[in-house]
Amino acid sequence: MNKVGIVSYGSYIPQYRISVEEIAHIWGEDATELKNQLQVPKKSVLGLDEDVVTMAVESARNAVNLWDGEPKLIGAIYVGSESHPYAVKPTATIVSEALPTGKEIMAADLEFACKAGTAGMQMCFGLVKSDMINYGLAIGSDDSQAKPSDPLEYTAGAGSAAILIGSEGIIAELEGTYSVTSDTPDFWRREGATYPSHGQRFTGKPAYFQHSIDATKGIMNQLQTNPSDYDYVVFHQPNTKFPLSVAKMLGFTKEQVELSLVCRHIGNTYSASSMLGLNRILEKASSGERILMTSYGSGAGSDSFSFVVTDKIEKLQSYPFDIEYYIKRTKDIDYGLYTRYKGLLK
Amino acid sequence: MEPPKIWREKRQKYLALGISCKKCGKRSFPLSEYCPYCGTNDVEEYRLAETGKILYFTNVSMTSDEMAFNAPYCLGIIELNDGIKVTGQIIDCDYKDLRKGMEVKMVFRILARDGHEGLIKYGFKFTSM
Repeated sequence: MNKVGIVSYGSYIPQYRISVEEIAHIWGEDATELKNQLQVPKKSVLGLDEDVVTMAVESARNAVNLWDGEPKLIGAIYVGSESHPYAVKPTATIVSEALPTGKEIMAADLEFACKAGTAGMQMCFGLVKSDMINYGLAIGSDDSQAKPSDPLEYTAGAGSAAILIGSEGIIAELEGTYSVTSDTPDFWRREGATYPSHGQRFTGKPAYFQHSIDATKGIMNQLQTNPSDYDYVVFHQPNTKFPLSVAKMLGFTKEQVELSLVCRHIGNTYSASSMLGLNRILEKASSGERILMTSYGSGAGSDSFSFVVTDKIEKLQSYPFDIEYYIKRTKDIDYGLYTRYKGLLK
Repeated sequence: MEPPKIWREKRQKYLALGISCKKCGKRSFPLSEYCPYCGTNDVEEYRLAETGKILYFTNVSMTSDEMAFNAPYCLGIIELNDGIKVTGQIIDCDYKDLRKGMEVKMVFRILARDGHEGLIKYGFKFTSM
């Protein structure tokens, strides 16, 4: 069988930030306690002229610019999000024209809460491995939604990650992928509803933790590996506490998970969350190192991936618009501007 | 916003396409079937440089309804690194911080939005580097 893996990657994070203190001040909450619980001091916020499409295009262009190839070679684009600007009219077609790829391309928008982007990665891996396409682009992009005063409002950020998948020029070879799926009503948004609802504490143990643990154990069992075989591990990051906790439950050390925790700087970017964590590791990883990634999407399911970094990674680690660039490019806003930027004023 | 207009302009707006004249060798923006310098129709598409410098700028507060979501905004004439001058919004910055000669790069943003139910128009704008 053909080898398949990641051949390039790109990220995008908007520059605006709002602090937990600023939000807590509005709702009369204890900011210190919230920061201790969530370990997310600030979250990223979209600008007035940004949305899931613009972020997806920026991350996709960063992935293509970093890559030594032509976008016309890309045979599929899948964009995972729960905040596509159109209910009917794909984000993926706009991304395709803005790269630009050729017209002969498979494209679709995906929705599976916070794991729609990694579902796209699996589709691209399958298409490349079966020789149906040469390269596939999977994107997770979200302007995370949260009802004002809901606990989610403190962490629901914005960002996008693009992963280019192929069989030539692999920087991180796929060893395997493994998924678990169940009908779990932990988080949802009905058609026409503006904000998502959730099951409070029910989003934790039977949802995030159970699926993340089952998928991670599943792939390690499939590949006959254990936590000490990995240099880095990435989990979905609804806050910083959850990935640290699930890593500990599974026997990973804090050091293995720490680098992936983009959430500390920008909050929960929903579909982009675990993919941005993976991208941050790809920016630093060395040849021969092993990465385990497990996404989580409410509803619910988890996708696990095991990668081995190749010696081609070094050529793709000196790019000016990497995650560190976007993390450092910040402009703080107050809650008044936040209401305008998020479109809360109707 | 009419769908045919958005459809016709999408490549120019998304990719910042101008033309390069095969006869006189000059480049220009926007897309056209004819060279504005020598009049020939022997032209080919040309993708503009993605970086440049601010030549002139101003602040715009009165806009069409479709751009009101973004107002007030900064508008500038940018001299790209290939010598072509284009007009575009300069975003993610305050008007008071803009300077002539400031280096900018192209980014992909929302240009106009037809209310809550109409089409969204995308294209290039500029941000400081």
